[in-house]
Order: sequence, then structure tokens, then C-alpha cells
Amino acid sequence: MNEPVTLRTRAEIEAGRLPPLLARAERLAGTVLLGEHGRRRAGLGDDFWQYRPAREGDSRRMIDHRRSARGDIQFVREREWQIAQTVMLWVDQGASMRFASSADLPEKIERARLIGLAMAILLVRGGERVGLTGTALPPRRGNAQVLQLAEMLTRDDEHDYASPEHRAMIPHARAIFVSDFLNDIDEVELALTKAADRGIRGALLQILDPTEESFPYHGRTIFRSVGGTVTHETLKAGELRTRYRDRLAERRDRLQSLCRATGWQLGKHHTSEPAQSALIWLYHALDGSRR
Amino acid sequence: MTVLGGIGFTAPWLLLALLALPVLWLILRAVPPAPVRRLFPGVVLLLGLRDDESITDRTPWWLLLLRIIAVAAVIVGLAGPVLNPQQGSTGKGPLLLVFDASWAGAPQWDEKLEFADLQVTEAGRSGRTVGFLRLTAPQAPVFQAADVQQGAVAGLQPEAWQVSAPLAQQAISALAGASGSFDTVWLSDGLDYPGRDDLLTALQQYGDVRVIQSPFPVYGLMPPRIEDGSVLLTVHRSSGVGPRRMTVLAQGRDPSGTARLLASANAVFAPGETEIEATLDLPSELRARITRFELQGQRSAGAVTIADDGLRRREVALVAGRVDREGLELLSPLHYLEQALQPTADLLTGPLMEMLPANPDVVVLADVANLSAAEDEALADWITGGGLLLRFAGPRLASSEMSRETEHRLMPVRLRAGGRTVGGAMSWGEPKALAPFDKDSPFHGLSVPSEVRVTAQVMAQPDPTLADRVIASLNDGTPLVTRKPLGQGQIVLFHVTANAEWSSLPLSGLFVEMLERLAVSSAAKRPDASDLAGTTWMPEQVLTGFGALTDAGNLPGVEGPDLANAPLGPELQPGLYASEDRHLARNVVEGDAFPGAADWPADVPVEGLTVSRETDLGGLLLSLAILLLAMDVIASLWIAGRLIPVRTAVPALIAALLLLPPAPGAAQSGDDIATALTSELALAHVLTGNSAVDDIAQAGLQGLSDTLFFRTSVEPANPAGVDLERDELAFFPLLYWPISADQPIPSDEAYSRLNAYLRSGGMIVFDTRDADIAGFGGASPNGRKLRALAAPLDIPPLEPVPPDHVLTRTFYLLQDFPGRHTGRDVWVEAAPPDAEQIEGMPFRNLNDGVTPVVIGGNDWAAAWATAPDGRAMLPVGRGFTGERQRELAFRFGVNLVMHVLTGNYKSDQVHVPALLDRLGQ
Repeated sequence: MNEPVTLRTRAEIEAGRLPPLLARAERLAGTVLLGEHGRRRAGLGDDFWQYRPAREGDSRRMIDHRRSARGDIQFVREREWQIAQTVMLWVDQGASMRFASSADLPEKIERARLIGLAMAILLVRGGERVGLTGTALPPRRGNAQVLQLAEMLTRDDEHDYASPEHRAMIPHARAIFVSDFLNDIDEVELALTKAADRGIRGALLQILDPTEESFPYHGRTIFRSVGGTVTHETLKAGELRTRYRDRLAERRDRLQSLCRATGWQLGKHHTSEPAQSALIWLYHALDGSRR
Repeated sequence: MTVLGGIGFTAPWLLLALLALPVLWLILRAVPPAPVRRLFPGVVLLLGLRDDESITDRTPWWLLLLRIIAVAAVIVGLAGPVLNPQQGSTGKGPLLLVFDASWAGAPQWDEKLEFADLQVTEAGRSGRTVGFLRLTAPQAPVFQAADVQQGAVAGLQPEAWQVSAPLAQQAISALAGASGSFDTVWLSDGLDYPGRDDLLTALQQYGDVRVIQSPFPVYGLMPPRIEDGSVLLTVHRSSGVGPRRMTVLAQGRDPSGTARLLASANAVFAPGETEIEATLDLPSELRARITRFELQGQRSAGAVTIADDGLRRREVALVAGRVDREGLELLSPLHYLEQALQPTADLLTGPLMEMLPANPDVVVLADVANLSAAEDEALADWITGGGLLLRFAGPRLASSEMSRETEHRLMPVRLRAGGRTVGGAMSWGEPKALAPFDKDSPFHGLSVPSEVRVTAQVMAQPDPTLADRVIASLNDGTPLVTRKPLGQGQIVLFHVTANAEWSSLPLSGLFVEMLERLAVSSAAKRPDASDLAGTTWMPEQVLTGFGALTDAGNLPGVEGPDLANAPLGPELQPGLYASEDRHLARNVVEGDAFPGAADWPADVPVEGLTVSRETDLGGLLLSLAILLLAMDVIASLWIAGRLIPVRTAVPALIAALLLLPPAPGAAQSGDDIATALTSELALAHVLTGNSAVDDIAQAGLQGLSDTLFFRTSVEPANPAGVDLERDELAFFPLLYWPISADQPIPSDEAYSRLNAYLRSGGMIVFDTRDADIAGFGGASPNGRKLRALAAPLDIPPLEPVPPDHVLTRTFYLLQDFPGRHTGRDVWVEAAPPDAEQIEGMPFRNLNDGVTPVVIGGNDWAAAWATAPDGRAMLPVGRGFTGERQRELAFRFGVNLVMHVLTGNYKSDQVHVPALLDRLGQ
């Protein structure tokens, strides 16, 4: 499943279900890195750009029937982007994400990569520039970037709990952090505050395994992190359930308040749910329709 | 040893450890189970959370119980539990084991031996010496150490007879030699016998007597009786306990001589009944084959009764010389014979030649003088095979010339002419009486009634052999009965008539007895001592105590009266006895009375034969403990979540099973291969044994097949290599035969098949593969080899391919036929000499046949050869011309196959216009 090609294919399938995402460019001025189409813009207010033949992955509603009726080929009407938005992805690749409570469920990291790449494909199709946080993969446009992303997203991080990359953030871009957010909350806070300082807005998507939510354990148990760096032994795991869930809720409250303070949005996703729901939530979160 | 509730313990104090079990319970309860190790990324949220209670999680109660039981099993097992502990008897001094050892004990003999073994073992434990005494074969007991006697006791066998009064006396006298006192354990067989009380008294003088006697009754089977044609068998038992169903089996030989069960009958004992009868209705043919009866499921000599002559009804064929005197019954020559034989034999009457095939036991010829040559021969054969011919004299015999000058082979003696008459009105002498029988005579012992008188007889010639052959004579010494052996059978002549004309012998009881002695008839009732007087009987088979018949070996013979009357014992063992042709059985259970169950005085303790072995339970309990601990391991693993889940284990198991080496598949049968080859067209090449040549041929035909597949509607399957010696050729339309100098010459059989293949329309393409260095027919090695190979083949005259040959136009229009080489010469079957080219026609009319051979040297296969990836394997020519040459080679191959498949189709004139058009003419 770690094969970039497989991930790409599955991500394309996921992305094929949604219309291209038009990221909202709120801060038009200052953030605009002029792309080539910006120079060719014919006139203000005219958002038609070109007709192009329909490709795989285009949904039917994108087909321009008036144009297509004149020939045998189906055409898609592309509009001119007024703004190319920059979106930065951070997908937690730490060891803690490589966890699935049962063989029927995907690992959290797999779900996170899928959602992240699907989002990237949507954005690229919409003409946005997508990259990873940090300096590993700067935002670019085009399908080649999707391939690069797919490759970068399959690199496991050796650390048990990875922290969001907060360096080299492009001001006034948008960002998506996909993680379980079980890592050091201070790091998240640092990243979010730094991002807010630079005018970056975005969404946090917390991906959890169902057992991490329900904590269905009891009896004498030694809990160990995936990387093996953290262990905790308890004699009656069942007694810990309520307190664990309290702590989890407390963490989510902390994230929520952070988001509220910085203008981000916080989403929650369980690996037992379909990936589509998380993608739709991200779509709406970035689209800003729920502003 | 301490006994608690029927179980003894060798180390009872260890059981106190059981008191510690409740403590163990508490301890085990307090020990928490091993922790489960889980991967859990959320562990960071757990850091710092403390367990509320200090009391830990408890082990499940059932797991505790399992462990407690395991520990308890260990404790009890180590305490040495013994089931059925034997409390040693208190006796001191030597121990005497007395066995009845008769047939009655045979069914429970194993139990008896086991019991005796136990007694010996016990005696050995308390240091007593042991002796034993068998009452059926008494010998003075020798007291020896128990372990010495153990083996001897295990080897004891029951005898087939019962203890008799003399044997009991012998036993008492055998005991007299014993000194000191001893205790006695008497293993009684359960039957009463004379002398038992005396023996008991004698034994009680030496010490205590314990009697071991099975409560089960003893069953016995009486010899069969015959009443109204059915066989009656009486079954006895010694005591009338509950109902019991008995099955009597009649064992014998089937016509082919194989021993098998012939019949069976059931009889049911009512409660309290001690005697029942089973009835068998059998045809006499079947009855005569029965060798013994036995009670099913009873393994003793008493349950077996041996059948003897009493059961047999002999078949006697009666032939009389005079049958014309109708109505004069009393004068009939056969009347007295019939009367004498009727009760005990089956009589056959009719023409001799019709009766002989029925193989009667006896043929009686009453006053028959002349036999036809065929009858004479048949009769002689039958006697030689074991028959008894009984002849009676009479007027015809006396007046005939039979056996007069020379002894007739069917007569024991030569006869004087006319015979003699004594005591008649016209003679001087008195009628003669019979002389007492000689000791050698089979009639020895029979009393001669004084009233028997002989008035006429035929006289024997005094030959040197006469004295040996006389078995009865008159008191004047003249022979009355003579006998001669012939082969396995014998011929007996009564020198008087079979009726009362010449003598009063047939009127007397002696006549019947004589017939019995001659085994002409079997006795209707069992012979008594007087009947058997003067005879000696040899044992043929004797019974063992278990009822099996064994060969008598060299046991001595028995006098007739003893055989009839003497009690059975070591000297007279039950079994089958034979004297001359007669057989008599002595069975174990005989007479009228069956002995009852043995009664013992009240002061003698009588015990049943129940053996309860000591069973050591320690090992069992310790195994149980190990088993429980193993279960505990599994259960603990399960609780700890360490057991491999079923979902993982089952596929792993299946995979392991799949990895097992599969059974080798059945080799493809010849039919399958034939079906595969005939369902699709396949080209074939002859395997030369040279792997390089064969590989090129295979690849070449593969390339040609592919070309055909792409370009034509011929879609061949993969080509096949053909071993001329083994493979069937008929499936292949074309055989490509590359010639190599070193290939073997096929066998004659292969050549005959090759010729059949050619005649039935097959084509062989010979390729000498040397056109680059030699012209066709040249003296190249391959050329010589080709000539050697093709010499035995049925090949018509050949010619170089003419320009109008159909091979040039079956698919492609070709002028020459290059392969890897471009030799010109390709030879095919010559055209008929009358074929002439018609003016204006481009081709001759060569309508018939496909050429059976194509001979060339252009190494076509090398040009066709294609690797699996589609590349040509061998270079052809240079550059583009080379490729053109390869293309032409392929075209030649296509034409060749088309020619084979379509024959002369393209030589039909119908195609001429189209071909002319294509040729541009």
C-alpha cells in the first residue's frame, strides 16, 4: 500500500468524486505569486479561460454540453483563475500513525495520506499550488506535483510522535494538518501560532482509530507506543477508561480553542468511517463556505 | 498400605498436603495474571494516570480451580493410590494349587491361569513355596519358589477328559509323598466326578482347602442321534440357571473338500432346564460330509462331538443278475440285502452304468456273471478309486465260464466249474456250518450262530494266493467269503447266494454283522463291546481340552471293547478312531448322564473366579495433572490474549497443508495425448537424438506454425517431436525429418509404421541440411545417411520439382525453395509418364495425389526457427537479401503445409485463370 502509484490511483479515485476545489483567496494582494495565466488574462470579469477535452477524473457536471454538442468530443469549460492559492500540507508520518486496532481497519497513516493526497489532487485540478510544509517540497502547480507529493507522502518518519513543521511557511497561504494530534500539544500550538502570525489559515484534521476513542481495554495491560519509546503499565485498564477519555476530550478542547484563536478549523475523523466524509469536510473547510 | 474408600495408598501421609490447598487458593488468587502487552498510540494520554485500587485484578475462578485440581492430582498421585489393593492372605507354609484341568474348565482357562498366577505372585510376596497338581494328569507335586513355578503354571493346559475315579486315586497317592503341611487352593472346573470327596478329605489332612469355582454352568454336547431322518443333538448343562440360547454348528467339508460350516441349529434353555435338544434336518448327502458338531462360543472339548460312521448313510448300488422272476419276492436275489441294508444305507437300483457315475460306496453284484466290456472297465476303475465291490455267487456265476481258467480281475479267486452242493437230497454230506473266524479276518470276534447252514456254494480253485484271500470259511475249510484288494478298493465274494437258496446265512443276524464289518452298512446303533470284540482301533485325530482336533501322532491303538467301554483318560483320549474302513468316535460327553455341578461341604470355602488386579492410579493422576497444567497454559495464554487468533491460525494451517507435497498426478494416458493431438492440427518432426538438431527442428516448426497462424486459415497447435519407435504417427499430416549423420536407423517395426503412414497420405520432408556444401545425392555424410534411412521406405520414383508442380502454387507462387541454403534440388514424387502439357495451358494436368516425400537439403527448419520472443534464431544470408530468403523459406513452408492439407486442389484447372492473372500473363 506504500507504493506511490497505488496511493496515487486510489487518491485519484477519491478526488474524482468531487468537483475541483476553488480555494478562496482572501488575501489577494501580497500573496499572489503570478503564474503564467495571470499574464495572459484577457480582461477583467471574464472568467472563461478555455475549453479542454474532458479527461478521466472529470465529473459529468463539468462537461460543457453546449460546446460538446458541436463535435464528438466532450469538452470541459475551464475558467480563468483569478488567484492561484498556495496550500501547504502536513501529513503526520510518525510512528504513532502506523496503528490499526484490527486487520479490518486501515492504519491511520494510510488514511491520512489518502485524504491528504486527494485534497492535493483536488487543489491541483483547481489550479492551486500545493506543497508540503517545510522545505522538502515547495508548492507548485501541475500533475507532476501530485506525483512528487505521492512520493513524499510515503516516507515514514522514524519518530514516535511527529510534530508539525512550522518552518518556511509561506505567508498568507493556507495549510492542512492531518494528524492524530497525540503528539506534544505545545508543538502544535507553536506551529499554529506561528502560522497565525503569518496570516495562514487552514484546517486540522484529527484522525483516530476507533479504539483510541473508546478505549475498550481492561485487565492488566502494558500499553506501548508504536515506536516503543513510551510505555505505561496498568493493573486495571478498565478503570482508566473514563479518565483517558476525559484527557482525550481535554486535548480536543485545547485544539479547538487554539483553532478558534487562530481562525483555523478542527475536524475529527475515525478510520472506521469512509474517507469521503473527511475529504468533504476538508473541502468545505478550505472553501470557506462555512465562514 | 492404607485403604481409604476402596483405594489403597502407599504413602498416605502425603495426603495431608491436601490441607494446604485452600492456602494455595488464596495465594494464587492474589497473584495477578501476566500483563497483556498492547500497542497503543494513545499511551501518551495515559502517562501519569495511577490505578485507583491497590488490590489487583484477580485470576478467574475457573483457572484457579484448574490449577487447584492439578495440584491436588499431583498430591494424590504421589501418595501412591492403588485400586483394588490386595490384602495379602495370612497363610504360611507351602501352597498347593490343585487344578481339575479337565475340558470343563477350558472355557475359563485363561481366568483360571490368571487367578493362579495371582496366587503364585502373592505367595511369592510372603515367601511361600508353591506346588501344583493337575488331577487329569496327576503327578506328585513339587514345592518350589514362587518365581520358579510362575512360568510352569502359565504353561498348564486342560486335558480333554474328565477326572475319573482311578485318576483321583492316583492323585491321592501322588500326594502321599508330600511331607509336612500345606494349604490348598483348588481350582475346580465345576463338574462333579467320582473320587472328589476322597481327594478333598486327603487334602484337608494337610491344611486348609480353598475352592475356587466359577458360578457359570458347564455346557456339553452329546453325540448326534438319528431319528426319523433328522439329526438330534442333546445339549446339557451342569446347573439350570437362567435362560440361554445355544447354537449348534455342524462343521464339515464342502464338495471341494474345503472345511466350512454346513448347518446350524438353535436350542434355548428355559430357566432351570439342564437338557435340551437341537434338531438338524439334513439331506444324507450333506450329513455324510459332517465331521463334527460344536456349540458356538464354547471353547471346550465337551462342546464338540465328532461325527463317525454312525452319521453316514452309505450308498449301495444293487445289481442283480435275475430280475425276471416277478412276484417271487422272497426268492429275489436282492431281497435279504435290501432288508439288511434298508435301515442304514441308501439303496440305488438301476442299470450299472447309470449308477456308477453317482459314485456309490458299495456295488453289490448278486449272481452277475457276465459284464459287458464297458461295464467291466468302468467297474474296475471305480474299484481302483476306492469302491467296494460285493459279489454274491449263484447259479449263473456257477454255470458261467467267468474266472475259470485265469483269475478275472473282478473276482477274488478262480472258481471251479459247477460249484458243489452238500446235504441235499442227492448228496452224501451234511449241510456245512461256518468255522469260527480267523484272527486276521475282519469278522474276527463275531460269534457264529450254530444254526447257519450252507447247502451249496461255488468252489475256489486252490491257488497259491487263496489262503490270503479267505476271510471266512466253512468248517470243512472251504472258503465262504474271499476278498482281494484292487487299487484302493477291494472285491469281496460271498460264495453263496444273497438269498436263502444256498444257505441260511442271509437269514441270520450274522449276515448283517458281516455287512457292517465290511462297511457295507453302518451300524444303526452304536456298537457295544461285543460288537467290537477282536478289533483294534487306531486313533486318527484326538481332541484337545479346548475342543480342537489334532493329529493323533503315534498314540497306541486301542482294543475294540476298551474303545466301547473304558473311561476316557490319558490312555483313551477322546477323538476319532479307525479300523480298516470303519471310523468310530469317542466323544467327551457320552452316555446318558451329564455330571452335575460339584457340591462342596459347608466347611470348605468356595470362592468365585473373580480376579481384580491391583491398579496403580498414581501414573494416571500425574498424567491428569500434566494435562491440566497444559490446559492451564492454553487458558493463561488465552486470557493474556497471546493465543494466535483463529483467523490467523486457520489460513496458516491451510497454507501448511497446501505446502505438503501434492500427490504426483497421474501420467497422461495415451488416449489423452491422442485426443489433444487430434483436436488440433500439429506439425511434427522426427527426433534424431541430436539435441541441437531436434531443438532447431522444434523451433523451426514453431516458427512455421506461427507463420501459418498469422497468414493462413491453418492454425496449428504447438509442434511435436516424434519418437519413431514409440509414438503414433497417424495424427500428424507432415513429418519433418532432419538428417544427421549420427542418428540411429529405426527398427523394422518403426519402418512398417512409417510405410503405413506414407501409404495413408502422410508426408515426410527429408532435409539433409547440407545444400551449402553438397548437391543432392552427393556423397556427403548426410546424403549417405539419408539413403540408408530411406532404403526400407516405400518411396515412389522421384524427380526434381518440375516448374509446374502444384507445390509452386498452393498458396504462394514460388519458383525455388530456399531454406537457410539455396540449393536448387528439391525432389518430389515423379509425375506420371503420360502427363503431357496441353498446348496453351501453363500447367500439366497432374491431378492425383500428394507427394509422400519431399527431399531436399536447404535446412528449412533453421530458416524457420523462431525463438519464443519472436526473433529468428539463426541468420540467413546477408542483409535484406537474407531476409528475403527467409521470407521465401517461410513461403515454401506455407506451400508445403497447404499442399499436404489441400492435396491437388490448386492443380485443378479451375484456378488457372486466376493464377494466370496473378502471374501477369
